[in-house]
Amino acid sequence: MTAYILRRLFWAVPTLFGISVIVFLLLHLAPGSPGAGGADSLRRASGRAAEEMRRQYGLDRPLPEQFAAWIGRVARLDLGESFADHRPVSERILEALPHTLALNGLALFFALALAIPLGVVAGGSPESAFDRASGAVLFAMYSMPTFWAALLLQTLFAVRLRWLPLYGTAADAAPAGLAGLGDRLAHLALPVACLTYGTLAFVARLVRSGVAEARTADYVIAARARGASRGQALWRHAFRNALLPVITLFGLLLPALLSGSVIIERIFAWPGLGRLYLDSILARDYPVILALSLLSAVVTLAATLLSDIAVAAVDPRVRDGAAG
Amino acid sequence: MKRAFWSAGLALCLLGAACRAKPEPEAAVRTPSPTARPALPALGFIDESSQGTPVDGGVLRRRLFGEPTTLNAVLQSSAPEAQVLQYVQRNLFDFDARLELVPGLAEALEASPDGLSYTITLRADAVWEDGRPVTSADAVFTIRKIVDPKIPANVFKPVFEEFESVEALDGRRFQVRFSRPYAFRSMAFVLPLLPEHRFAGQNFLKSKQNRAPLANGPYRFISWKTQESVELERNEKYPGPRGHFDRIVFRIVSDNTTAYRLLLEGELDEDQLDSGLKDRAVRDPAFAACCRLLEFYNLDYNYVVLNNRSPFFADPRARRAVTMLLDRASIVRGLYKGSARIISGPWAPDSPAYEARVPPLPFDPAAATRLLDEAGWKDTDGDGVRDRDGRPFAFDLLVSAGSEIGRQIDEMLSAELARVGVTARIRTLEWAAFVEKIDAGDFEAASLAWSAVDPNPDPYFYWHSSQCSPNGLNNGCYASPEADGLMETARLETDPGRRKEVLARLHRLLRDDAPAVFVVNAAQKVALRRRIRGLTTSPLGLYGIWPGPLAWWAEPETGKAP
Repeated sequence: MTAYILRRLFWAVPTLFGISVIVFLLLHLAPGSPGAGGADSLRRASGRAAEEMRRQYGLDRPLPEQFAAWIGRVARLDLGESFADHRPVSERILEALPHTLALNGLALFFALALAIPLGVVAGGSPESAFDRASGAVLFAMYSMPTFWAALLLQTLFAVRLRWLPLYGTAADAAPAGLAGLGDRLAHLALPVACLTYGTLAFVARLVRSGVAEARTADYVIAARARGASRGQALWRHAFRNALLPVITLFGLLLPALLSGSVIIERIFAWPGLGRLYLDSILARDYPVILALSLLSAVVTLAATLLSDIAVAAVDPRVRDGAAG
Repeated sequence: MKRAFWSAGLALCLLGAACRAKPEPEAAVRTPSPTARPALPALGFIDESSQGTPVDGGVLRRRLFGEPTTLNAVLQSSAPEAQVLQYVQRNLFDFDARLELVPGLAEALEASPDGLSYTITLRADAVWEDGRPVTSADAVFTIRKIVDPKIPANVFKPVFEEFESVEALDGRRFQVRFSRPYAFRSMAFVLPLLPEHRFAGQNFLKSKQNRAPLANGPYRFISWKTQESVELERNEKYPGPRGHFDRIVFRIVSDNTTAYRLLLEGELDEDQLDSGLKDRAVRDPAFAACCRLLEFYNLDYNYVVLNNRSPFFADPRARRAVTMLLDRASIVRGLYKGSARIISGPWAPDSPAYEARVPPLPFDPAAATRLLDEAGWKDTDGDGVRDRDGRPFAFDLLVSAGSEIGRQIDEMLSAELARVGVTARIRTLEWAAFVEKIDAGDFEAASLAWSAVDPNPDPYFYWHSSQCSPNGLNNGCYASPEADGLMETARLETDPGRRKEVLARLHRLLRDDAPAVFVVNAAQKVALRRRIRGLTTSPLGLYGIWPGPLAWWAEPETGKAP
C-alpha cells in the first residue's frame, strides 16, 4: 500500500509539470495581453508604462525563459505578484480562499449527507412510490440551471419572506460572537443551497442505482437468508458495494471545493476564488491565473489520489491488484 | 486626462426576458425629449441643489460595478476607483456641473503669457487627516510620480506629456513648466495630490497607502473588504463644507440584476441601469414605490470605426456610403425608445466642441448606392456582392462580447449593407482579444463606445494621422492633411471663440470624410431611492463633478429599511 502511494506521488510531479506547461502555453497563446483588460482601459500614454511593466515582469523575454523563471519561483513556493495591484498572489488567494471553502465545503457536505440516505432508501425499494417521486424531483433539480434557482430562491426567501439576506457574506454591522456566526450562516444559506442541489441529485441517483442493483445480488440475498434484517442487508451489504463509485466520484467533486463558482459568486456578490479567477482572466493577470490553475491541478491530483486510496482501502480487489 | 473605453460586458444578461426590449409605454420617467438632429449644446439638466433643506446624518449606500485595483489617486485607472477617491481626496481644481473649473485644494491658477508655465497656490487651510498641511512639496512629489516613466499613471500622463519641470516656490505655491502651449492645459490641474510623508521610503506601487488612502477631502477611509465593500466616514478635519452623510458605504456588486434587487430592498441608494433593467423598472410597481429613474445626456457615444487603411474604406465615398446606410433614427426609436440623439461627429452634442449646425448625414440608401458605384464598387460578376478589381466588398465587423447595444447596431448595419450588395460579417470577440485587435489596427470595422471622464474635446489623439495605430489611438488610421492642420491649430488656439470655429470646420470635415460611423449619444439611466436629494446631473454624469454626489443628502426614511 505504501509503495502504491509513493509511486502515485512520484508520478504526480511530472503530471503537474505537464499541466503547468500546457496552462502556461495556452495563456500566452491566447489573444490579449496584460494591462489591456478591464472595463475602463486608459489606452493613451499607457504605452511606456505598459512597456516598463512588461520589462519589469519579464514579459519581453522568450517564452521558455519566462516559463523557467516562473516554475523556478513556484518550486520555492513563491507565486509572484499580481499585475493588477502588485500584491503577492498568495495574499490575494488567501483572501478569497476562506469564502470559497466555506461555501463549497458546506455544499459538498450537505450534498453527500442528504444524497446517501435518499439514494439508499430509494434504491432499497425500486419502482416504489418514494423511488418514483424522489426520482422525478431529483431529475428536475438536476436539470434546473443554478442561476435560475438562485434568482427564484432570492425572490422567495430574501424578497418575499425576508427570512434570509439577499447577498454578501455578512450584514453591514454584523454583531460579534454567536450572533455574528448566525448572521454568517444566514448569508451562506442561499448560495449553499444553490450549489448543493445539483450534486445532491446526481449523487443520490448514483447511490440509488448502485443499491438497486446490489439488492438483488447473491451476497445480499445470502445475507437475508442468514437472517439479516432488510435494513441490515441494505445498509451493511448493498450500500457498501454501492459506495465504491461514490468514493471515486468524491475524488472528482473535491476539487470543486477550491474552483469556486463564477455564477453563484457573481449573483450573491460572494468574494470567492471564482470571481478572482474570472477577473484575472479578463485582465490577463498571468500570475494569478497560473497560480489558481496550478492550485486546482494540485487539488485534483490530491483528490484523485485520496479517492483511489480510499477505494483501495475498502475494496480488497483493487488493493491487492495495486500492491501486486 | 482623457479616457476611452469600449463597452465591456457590464450588462450581463442573466434573465433573457429582462434584457429583451419590449415596447411598453413609459410612465413617470424624466426623459429628455428625443431629437432627430443634435440639439443645441444646452445644459438642460437636473439640478435639485436648491430644493429642500439638507439634513445631516445617515448612511449613503452606493454601488461599485467592480473591485477597485488601487486607491492610490495617481495610479487610478477605472470608474470604481474614481468614485471612491472623489470623497476622500480633493483635486487642485474640479469641474462643476457646467464643466467650468472651480477651486479645490488650490485657490489660484496663474498662466504665464507664453502659456508655458503655471503657478498654483494651495489653500492655506488644506490639511491631511493626520493634521499635516497639504503643501507644495506634496504637489511636486505627485507630479514627479505622474511623469515617472515607471509609474503607470495613465489617467494623468497625457496632459503632462509636454511637461518640463515642477518646483516649489514656497510652502503653498508651486510652478509647473511645459515645453509647448496647449489650449486645454488647465485641465491638467484637475489633479489629486498624494501625501509625500506617507510614501517616504516605500515602494510606490506596493505601498500600504494604496489600499488605505490618507484623506484631504470631506470623507476619510475606514475599510476595504476585497470584493465586498469600501467604507468611508466623515472627515472632521476637512475645512470645507461638511458632507451630509455620516458614512458612505460602497458595495461591490458586479451583477446588474442583484444590484437592482438591492436597490429595491434599500441596500443600495443608487444604481446605473442598463436598458433591459430600465424597461423592467418602468413597469415595476415596487420600483415606483421606492425609487425614481433619472435620464440625462452625458458625453458618451457609440460609433463604428472603419479602418481607413483597408481597401474597402480608403475612399471617403465608400465610408460615407456606410454612414448613410445606417438608419440611426430607427436606432433611436427602437433600441433607445427615443432617449438618444444622433451625432454627426466624434463628440456628444453637449461637448464644447460639438457644432450643432453640422447636421448628420441622412439615412439614404439610394444616395449610398450611387456613392458606392462612384467609388468603383459594382457587382461585375453578378453574385449579388459588389466587387472591385476582383475583390468582393465583404468584411468582418468586430464587436466585443457583452456589448449588447453594439451587437444590435452591427446587425442593423449589416442588414442594410446586405441590401445594397455589401457583406459585413459580425464577429464577436472576448474583451482582451478585441482590444488587442483594435489597438493593433488589425481590423476592418469595429463597434466601439466612447466614454468621457472629462470635457476635453481635443480630437488630436484620436483622429490625427500622427496617432495611427498601433502606436496611437487613431485606431482606424484616418489621415487627412486638412483635418491634421485643423487639429493642430485647435490645440494651440487659446481664444475659445476662434477655437470653436476651427473645431466647427473640423466637425464638418469629419462628418463628410466619415472616418467612422458616428451613431448616437444615448441617455444615461440612473435609479435612485426617493430619499436621496440634492442631485445635480452634468454632461460628465452624476459623479465626476464638484460638488456632485458630495451635495447629496437623505430624508430620514420613514419606511423600514432592512
